[in-house]
Amino acid sequence: MRKINLSGLRKYTIVIVLILMMIFFSTTSPYFLSLRNLINIVTQNTYFIIVAIGLSFVMIGGGIDLSVGYQMSLVGVVTAILMTVHQFPVWLSVLIGILLGTFLGLVNGLLIVKIKVFPLIITLATSTIFQGISYIISGAKTYRSYPAEFLVLTKPFLFRIPLDVFLTLIIVLLASFIYAKTSFGWNILALGGNEEASRLAGINTKVMRVATYAMCGFFVAIATMVMISKANTTSSMFGPGTEFTALTAAIVGGISFTGGEGNMLGLVTGVFLLAVLGNGMQLAGWNTYTQFIVKGLILLGAVTFDEMQKNRKTQVRKQSEEMPDESQVGQGENNG
Amino acid sequence: MGEVHLSIRHIAKSYPGVIALDDFSMDFAKGEVHALLGENGAGKSTLIKIISGAISPDSGLILIDGNEYPKLNPHEAKKLGVEVIYQEFSLVESLSVAQNVFLGEYAGFLTDHKDLKKRASKIFSEMGVTIDPSLQVRKLSPAKKQLVEIAKAISRNARILIMDEPSAPLSASEVETMFTLIEKLKARGVTVIYISHRIEELFRISDRVTVMRDGRYVDTLNTKQTSRQELISLMVGRQLNEFYPKRATELSDVVIQVNNLSGIGVKNISFQAHKGEILGIAGLVGSGRTELVSLIFGAVKKDSGDVIVNGKKVNIKSPRDALNLGIGLIPEDRKNQGCILNAQVDFNITLSVFNKLTHFSLLNFRKLKRISNHYNNALNIRTPSLQQRVRNLSGGNQQKVVVAKTLAAEADILIFDEPTRGIDVGAKQEIYNMMVELVEQGKTIIMISSEMEELLGMSDRLIVLFEGELMGEVQQEKFDQHHVLELASGQRNDQFERSYA
Repeated sequence: MRKINLSGLRKYTIVIVLILMMIFFSTTSPYFLSLRNLINIVTQNTYFIIVAIGLSFVMIGGGIDLSVGYQMSLVGVVTAILMTVHQFPVWLSVLIGILLGTFLGLVNGLLIVKIKVFPLIITLATSTIFQGISYIISGAKTYRSYPAEFLVLTKPFLFRIPLDVFLTLIIVLLASFIYAKTSFGWNILALGGNEEASRLAGINTKVMRVATYAMCGFFVAIATMVMISKANTTSSMFGPGTEFTALTAAIVGGISFTGGEGNMLGLVTGVFLLAVLGNGMQLAGWNTYTQFIVKGLILLGAVTFDEMQKNRKTQVRKQSEEMPDESQVGQGENNG
Repeated sequence: MGEVHLSIRHIAKSYPGVIALDDFSMDFAKGEVHALLGENGAGKSTLIKIISGAISPDSGLILIDGNEYPKLNPHEAKKLGVEVIYQEFSLVESLSVAQNVFLGEYAGFLTDHKDLKKRASKIFSEMGVTIDPSLQVRKLSPAKKQLVEIAKAISRNARILIMDEPSAPLSASEVETMFTLIEKLKARGVTVIYISHRIEELFRISDRVTVMRDGRYVDTLNTKQTSRQELISLMVGRQLNEFYPKRATELSDVVIQVNNLSGIGVKNISFQAHKGEILGIAGLVGSGRTELVSLIFGAVKKDSGDVIVNGKKVNIKSPRDALNLGIGLIPEDRKNQGCILNAQVDFNITLSVFNKLTHFSLLNFRKLKRISNHYNNALNIRTPSLQQRVRNLSGGNQQKVVVAKTLAAEADILIFDEPTRGIDVGAKQEIYNMMVELVEQGKTIIMISSEMEELLGMSDRLIVLFEGELMGEVQQEKFDQHHVLELASGQRNDQFERSYA
């Protein structure tokens, strides 16, 4: 290496920050590094990881989805009502829930492609629509006490590790595989890298755009199952807010919000970074409001870091047109 | 020459892995038009950035009016009258022309719009151009935007005006307007530093030319006492003899025929192209050349008309349809339409085909690798590896990546829209050779170019557009710059018969 690999640096920066943070919090609370707490951090965050993965399809494709939290709210109450009120079999309720989530994503995607307005605005609009529907369906009531078959999802499965941890692991690997080895993944990378160039290269960019949102909805619905199973209760208030955490984690984890780049390792690290921060601050006895401020600062820091890197890259690049030697990470190499 | 206005003394600047400027010294005289010439990467951009204070040199001095400045910041440079007009516009699209001309000047809450407009109008009339100062910049053509940029510099009383490829978006007549303007500025004692890849322009406008190569000073020549040939050989450090490769053309079957095509400003255009032919499309900026090929390629929906490929009427609804029929487009805007800059070379080369090389949507990496290797070698793309990001390649090599992508899609009819824009001379030669090789292999090339010389040098036949209409067709035997320009400016060719209507 003649020069530091910047994308690689970023990948490690976040891991290093996570480790430093863990060292720091281990000094503020003796309980922090206990096995039990660490397992807690993992199990409490599986659904955030799944949401972030869903969001990664949209973001790597160059879009954004602010409505994921409200999709969760709607999918959650529908699934819960089917299971508890209508006594539908668990498999059917879950299936309907996942189809509904995929459908909500599809709606987002179609609106974006048809209306041709910023995804930010479209999903801002749909999020309040989803929220409204969720409250109408739930009647602002809480639904709890799910069938045992449903609760299995978050119960210990192997080596006392809950099933959803394995599920999350599989989803992470699956997503990495999609980006690295399938034409679907490459289409998304191309779409996010340059939509117009992709269209002119013969890629059906509209279909791909819709597909990223549907894919996002699909994973968000799976995450919803994990979330409500873990809580063994749900209401329309379950879900909203998740979009902020997942977005922050994605950006902190190096998913470029201009699209075209990102890796799953970074994404997962991003989720854990936020989780460790929250958990550590809680154990250290910092109040919730302080935690908000710190999380916001972390997001600002990540965006600043991203921007600084971009500027540096362009400066270096402009001058080294003929003798390039830079990061090798990017398209087609996102196997985290 | 007269009194020295700006001196560069032993400036050095390096970036990790690259020496951008190496002990560089030169002088600019007051009130001269001094051209800088050099291939991409010769250090021109670095030099103008140092003069304008955008970056600081590692060592060396700048002298302006005899005062030494080890380094300038943009603010100081502006105070000293240094203004730069960059290749990319730095206008605020949503503001009016007048607001843009005086951007940064009207600090405070209340601005007198009438006054701004009046002052802008005054500048425009001095410049001899007609632009409505109350128009939104977004609504202007690239050429008009360029003029607004110049007006901006004039409003700030530029004393040293640096113009980086100012003619790139302009048509021939607009370039003339700009030159007249430069003459006026010169007469006022403004020193103009002029950068252009179009060598013929330097002969038209500049007093002296300084040639740079690999960050070093090569020579400064009086424009009147040099020749194109000499400049090119100084620039590339070797003799370029056959600029436009010669070849024997035999016209055979018609492979593509366009009948009465209309849409997005293109009006009822018909033409045909043969196997093994380079058909040039001439016309000024805004004459509908790019629009015409966008309609053929399916990038934009047509209103009416037919495209016939290999004798069969086809219905092209999207670029995907066009590619499936063997029609490929190498777009005008390489960076925004041609490739994915942040993606790797191999990803870009296979961009049009990876969807076809799958097995249950799993990518066939062996085939993909073979394709990218093949075209990488065939087109001699200079990159350290196929995993290099396209952003890091030079303009010429980026263009080759775009061509490779189109060839990988097995296109036989290749539409090149401005194939050599912003590419240095050496790479241009390579692109020309490549185009000739392609037609010799039996492919058909349709080429749009704003460089008349290139168009006449490369094409077997030309069609000329004006305001969306076909003005005429010119056979190679009758190629004549003057004649083509007449057609392009709206004078119809009487001999032209609409034989394929």
